[in-house]
Amino acid sequence: MKGLTIDYATLLPALVPVAGLVLVLVADLVNPRLRQLPYAIAGVAALGAAVATVPGLALGGGSTRETFCLAGGTSTRGALPSVEGLPQRCLWQADALGSTLQLAAAVAAVVCIALAWPRTRRRRPDDSTREPVEAVLLLAALAGTVVVAASRDVGTWLVALELATLPVIALVALSGRRSAVAGATQLLVTSLVSFALLVLGVALWFAGTGSPFLTPDAALSSGGAFAAAPGTASVAISQASTPVVFPSVSGGVVALATVLIVAGVGFKLSLVPFHAWTPTAYAGSSVPVATFLATVSKVAALAALLVVLRAVAVLGTPAVLSIALLASLSMTLGNVMALRQDDVVRLLAWSTVAQAGWVVLPLVSISALGVGASATYLLTYVVATLVAFSVVAVTLRDRPGRGRSITDYDGLWQRSPWRAGALVLALTSLAGLPPGVIGLVGKITALRPVVAEGWVWLAVVAAVNAVLGVAVYLRWLRAVITERVPEAGPTAGGEDHAVAATTGRRPVVVAGLVLASAVLVVVSVQPDLLLRLLG
Amino acid sequence: MSWIVRMIVVLPALAALIGLLARRRRAVAAGVAVSVSAYVAVLGLIQWVAPSRSADIDTIGGLPLGDLSVPLHLLSDRVSGLVSFVVALVVLGIQVFTVWYLRDDARYGQFAATVSLFATGMLLLVQSGDLVLMLVGWEIMGWCSWLLIGHDSERAAARRAAYKAFLVTRVADIGMVVGIVALSVRARSTDLMAVLTATGDGTLLTVGLVGVVIGVAGKSGLVPFHDWLPDAMEGPTPASALIHAATMVAAGTYVIARLFTLYAENDTARTLLAVLAAVTMVYAALLALAQTDLKRMLAYSTLSQIAIMLSALAAAPAELGPGAGISHLLGHAFFKALLFLGAGWLSVLAGGTAIVALRGRLRPTGALRWSMGIGLAALAGVPPLVGFFTKDTVIDAALEGATGGGGLRAWLVVVALFVTVVLTAAYCTRAWLLLDTPVAATGELPDTAPAVVAEEDVAVVTTADSADDAEVERVHAHGHATITLSAALVVSVLAALTVVGTLFLASLRGGVHVGLLSALLSLLLLAGGAYAVWFLSDRGRVDVAERIPGRVREPAVRGFGVDTAYVAVGRAVTTVARLVVALDRDVVDAYPRGTAVVARAAGRAGERGHRGVPSLSLLSLLVGVVLVAVLGVTAWR
Repeated sequence: MKGLTIDYATLLPALVPVAGLVLVLVADLVNPRLRQLPYAIAGVAALGAAVATVPGLALGGGSTRETFCLAGGTSTRGALPSVEGLPQRCLWQADALGSTLQLAAAVAAVVCIALAWPRTRRRRPDDSTREPVEAVLLLAALAGTVVVAASRDVGTWLVALELATLPVIALVALSGRRSAVAGATQLLVTSLVSFALLVLGVALWFAGTGSPFLTPDAALSSGGAFAAAPGTASVAISQASTPVVFPSVSGGVVALATVLIVAGVGFKLSLVPFHAWTPTAYAGSSVPVATFLATVSKVAALAALLVVLRAVAVLGTPAVLSIALLASLSMTLGNVMALRQDDVVRLLAWSTVAQAGWVVLPLVSISALGVGASATYLLTYVVATLVAFSVVAVTLRDRPGRGRSITDYDGLWQRSPWRAGALVLALTSLAGLPPGVIGLVGKITALRPVVAEGWVWLAVVAAVNAVLGVAVYLRWLRAVITERVPEAGPTAGGEDHAVAATTGRRPVVVAGLVLASAVLVVVSVQPDLLLRLLG
Repeated sequence: MSWIVRMIVVLPALAALIGLLARRRRAVAAGVAVSVSAYVAVLGLIQWVAPSRSADIDTIGGLPLGDLSVPLHLLSDRVSGLVSFVVALVVLGIQVFTVWYLRDDARYGQFAATVSLFATGMLLLVQSGDLVLMLVGWEIMGWCSWLLIGHDSERAAARRAAYKAFLVTRVADIGMVVGIVALSVRARSTDLMAVLTATGDGTLLTVGLVGVVIGVAGKSGLVPFHDWLPDAMEGPTPASALIHAATMVAAGTYVIARLFTLYAENDTARTLLAVLAAVTMVYAALLALAQTDLKRMLAYSTLSQIAIMLSALAAAPAELGPGAGISHLLGHAFFKALLFLGAGWLSVLAGGTAIVALRGRLRPTGALRWSMGIGLAALAGVPPLVGFFTKDTVIDAALEGATGGGGLRAWLVVVALFVTVVLTAAYCTRAWLLLDTPVAATGELPDTAPAVVAEEDVAVVTTADSADDAEVERVHAHGHATITLSAALVVSVLAALTVVGTLFLASLRGGVHVGLLSALLSLLLLAGGAYAVWFLSDRGRVDVAERIPGRVREPAVRGFGVDTAYVAVGRAVTTVARLVVALDRDVVDAYPRGTAVVARAAGRAGERGHRGVPSLSLLSLLVGVVLVAVLGVTAWR
């Protein structure tokens, strides 16, 4: 394209996973019998992506690393005020917030790949393609997530979002179990509908603003869109009125676009009522894939949502009632349902629903404050959930078939204090209690915009849900720290013996747990670190 | 000179700390306790002889409490010097005596350290020029009394007595704290000088003074708080001597004396004090007459004597000052310490403190016989012992108050005082006759079967039981150890002080002031009371208390069931507490529990709505989209 400049260094976070993806395929072509190689390549690629985001973290004061800029493309409406003198024509803009989300996605992906590490070193049979496929899908979804966080035009945004979604559906279905297929089906159906919503929203955005860019000045230009482009369908309505009505009509279109995009992304965030796939898909898929769904996918969804909302923020919309509604519904239903789960993966699935409510809670105030608070909460949630899932994965790796039920965690404190400690920290972080200080900080940060906007009823709903959440996580926690009820001697011994025989290799899985726990400990001890990352 | 004042307070505290650390090494603990109390006594002597007369001796600096000034000053004058000297002297005597008395006790170290801490509390109260410091000293004594009374903590009766003392005085301390707060608020300062000179709000003043009277009534054992004191005899005898002679129970007198100028102007508080004191002194003297245990008899006599001190403060005219009360405090300190230590000595010889066991045991004991005789005579008020002078100073002060416009209040006190003189003479004579008349002279051995069997929950008192059972066990286990020279010396010195103690009081303004007429009258009454007992008891052959009808005497020995009343109050409080707990649990907590029930029900309903069917999720998605779109657009700014 004429006048398009490309800065490959800036694109590295996205390029590295893609390169890794290609490498996995090549390696599989060369030697298809190595089980661990695809994961090793994928892990290195995800780590590389994480490292590549680091230069973007230090950006402050609205500066960005951008590329794909359309040079010399002066706006047809040059008289409109540009926001803080930023170049308006770049398709890729990674600022501190975007880079942080990219980093979180990459780190979460590293942990997921570690958890998915194969059980055995044995060479796989020729007919099995599971490992390379899984690695490729994981990397593809990661690449989509990284791109969506930096995309600034509707095309890239939509494609990247789907790139982050579709591989996950395949990942869920990959195990081929009946429950996995059921979960994948539900995920697919819901994602199709929500994709339709997203496309509709984007189309409305284009209609309302006349700009394919998801940028603040595009949102600001919505007032003049119809005046500049007569002959569109909306004008038929507006022709009857005075010209003064134009801005309000197109403003309404932008509003509808925003709300539809919220609904479409809400599916990926598992907000009620778009949540129904969550427990089925989590329970049907393997634990690493569920972890990926709970962390990287959520990062992708929020990153996509934030791209749109930051563009809309410039309109000065004080608050959005529908987001408040979604947030309160999600929190309440998620917590209430999580209270009744005995399967820890299902519990975490419903906890995801509840936490998603917390994540979008600050967005009722569409402003820099709300966006920052939302990203902060998402990061605390991602880190804590990673640790919780890692503990589940390690436990399952230790004794396959045992570790899905809460009762399997009875007396974990006595059996393996380190793992129990990590779980305690993760659960208290999710509940927002010390010693999980970061969870508490996150909850306070999330509530601040709500209170600042004066949404008292929403703050009350959130507070009630904070209490309900404590009950949810303490249910699991109690099992961890209470003494195990001694089982009948001989059966327990025999079982343990059988379990020991099937115990898989676990150093890499444990390494994933250690990585996630280390991050959690660091941000718990020094929450300031996380808050500063997001400026 | 101000360092002396500070040292007098700090040194016993240090001694307590060191004693506690060195409690396992008996010699070190004893050495520290005795030497420090001796040094403090010397310092007290210096402070008395050459008082620094300063009201602003800094301690730890003032507390920054906004517009309430809390300077935490110490106050030194001749009164505080004299009182702290006498306190230190008595504490020294008790420490020396304890070394012998608790010779076989494994927990001697703790006991000695507690006595030192107790002395800290009393000396802090005496030296304080600040209501807050006064309260601190007051509370230290309250806590230490719990430790000392419950020293033999393996015995249920001792534990019960300790808790009883602590709880009863704590309840009264509510009044003390309220009173101190009211006085401080009125003066905007806790400094004693500021409180005394403050003018203004009369209601606050009355509340403050009445509150302090209630607090004093608790610690000094005025009716209706009196019943803890006889039970406190469960503690070792030196602890009883300490509590009764110069510290805790007498502290109330000192506090009121310090606030005397305020009381002199306030009729409400003074009338309350006069009524409580008058009732207590007669009632306690009557009960003392009926007791079957020497230590309990002494306890009731303490109640009566403390009430005499307080009555002086209640009835004396303003211009006379609090001298009469203070002087009786000091005189009482000497002879009551003497009596208690003597009783302790005697109980070691006889193996118990029940009068039945002690009958006639005094006769063959030489110095002890003399000492006890002097002590009882001083208690009764026989001239020229210190008791005579201080008691008649009180009577004279009350008479002056009565004739000088004190009205009904002062007359009530005067009448009560004269009645008490008779009764005191009677129970002293009874005690002397019982202790001194050889058993052979009575002709028959006393019936050793307990005449009064205590019920559960009520103070455990029987005629044959000693109050201090541990003492009996100690004697049974180790035999009748001969007293050491130093312990015997302590008793003798106290006896000597009882004789010449009046000289101490000469320096005190209004300390000794005996009216001729009243002295003659009280001497006549004394002689009459003594003669009546002597006559009724057939020259000591029978116990005069036996002539009291049994249905009166048995409840009298038990204190007329006041203990039951205390228990009833306690039960009432716990019943109210249970009611509040029930209300809290069944009414207030119902709402939080309700949320749990609602959450569980909602979860069940939610589970029914989530069956993992794609069509259902599609439906909810569509509904959600419509809802969100409509809400989003209509509510868009």
